[in-house]
Amino acid sequence: MHVPDGVLPTAVCAAGYAAAVPITWYSIRKINQTGDPRENVPKAALLTAAFFVASWIHIPVPPTSVHLVLSGLMGAVLGYFAFPAILIGLFLQAVMFGHGGLSTLGVNAIIIGGPALLASFIFRLRGLRGDATRRSTGIFGFLASLCAIGISAALFTVLLINFIPADLDADTERHAILMLALGHVPLMFIEGAFTAFVTVFLLRVRPQMLTES
Amino acid sequence: MLCLFAVLLSPAMVYAHGAEIEYTVASSIEIVAKYDSGEPMAEAQVTVYAPDDPSTPWLTGECDDDGRFAFTPDMSKPGTWDIQVRQAGHGDMIHIEIEKGSVIGGSSSGYSTGQIVLMTVCVIWGIIGTALYFRRGKA
Repeated sequence: MHVPDGVLPTAVCAAGYAAAVPITWYSIRKINQTGDPRENVPKAALLTAAFFVASWIHIPVPPTSVHLVLSGLMGAVLGYFAFPAILIGLFLQAVMFGHGGLSTLGVNAIIIGGPALLASFIFRLRGLRGDATRRSTGIFGFLASLCAIGISAALFTVLLINFIPADLDADTERHAILMLALGHVPLMFIEGAFTAFVTVFLLRVRPQMLTES
Repeated sequence: MLCLFAVLLSPAMVYAHGAEIEYTVASSIEIVAKYDSGEPMAEAQVTVYAPDDPSTPWLTGECDDDGRFAFTPDMSKPGTWDIQVRQAGHGDMIHIEIEKGSVIGGSSSGYSTGQIVLMTVCVIWGIIGTALYFRRGKA
C-alpha cells in the first residue's frame, strides 16, 4: 500500500505534501493541548516500531500477497499521535527499505495516516453509551481497523488507476491494481480482528493505555 | 476437372518449399524481478530505455511466471540502459552499463538481507530507546 517514487506525477506528490503538512500541524496542536504531551510518547514510539516492521509481515492472498499495515490499531490506541507516528514510520521505511518513497511521503501519509485518524474517531464511539465495555471496545476496535484498511486500499487504488504511467499497458496495469485491491479485503478482517484483540487485552490489563483515544 | 487438379496439386507445391534458418550470436541480458517478500513479479510489465533516448521506451514486454525477462540490447548504443519493472504501482529500475559491445555491470537499489536486518534492529532500538527515555523522564 506504499506508493513508490516515479509512479505519480510531480503535481500529485506535491499535493500529497500540501495535504499532509496541515494534518500534521493540526495533530501536533491537539497533542499539545493535552495535559502532558510527553506522557504518550513511549506508547507512540513503540507503536511506530511495530508499524515500521509490520510492512515485512506478508500474508499470502493468492494470486498476490499483502503486508500488515497496523494503521487502524495506531489510530485506536494513539489518537492524534497516530498521524505523526505514521509519518515517521513511513519516512524510515522509505529511507531504509525503499518501501514507498521520499517524493511520495506526503501521498502515503494521506493514504495510510488519514484513515488512521478516522479510525481513532470511530474507536472513540465505544464510550458513547457510558463507560466502554470489553464488548464495545472489541466491536469498535474491529470497525476502526476494518475502515482504516478499507479506505487506505480504496485511496491507493483510485490514485494508481488514475495515474497509470503512459509507458505501461493501461489495461494490464489496471487489472493488476484491482487484483491487489481485492487482496486487501481479507486484510481488513485480519487487522480488524487483531485490533479488537489488542484493544480488549489492553482494556483488561492496562486500561490507561486507551485513555488518549 | 481442372479445379480438382489445382486443389490436389497446391498443397504439394506449398510443402515443396525448402526452409532455411539463420543464426547470429548475440549477448542477451536476463533480469529476474521479485518483490521484497521473495515472490516473483509474474507478468509484470517491463520497459527498456536505451542510452540515446532515456525518455522513450526502446522495448516493452512482460516477465514470465518466474519474474524473468530477457532481451538483446543494441550493442552499438553504449551507455546506461535502464530497465524498469512495474506491477500494480510497485516496481523498481535497474541500470546496466554497456561499453564497447560488452556489459560492464548493473546496479539496483536493493539491499541484502543482512543489511535490512541490521537497519531494522538499529531503528527499533532507537525507537524503543526513545520510549524508555520518556518513561524515565515521567518517573
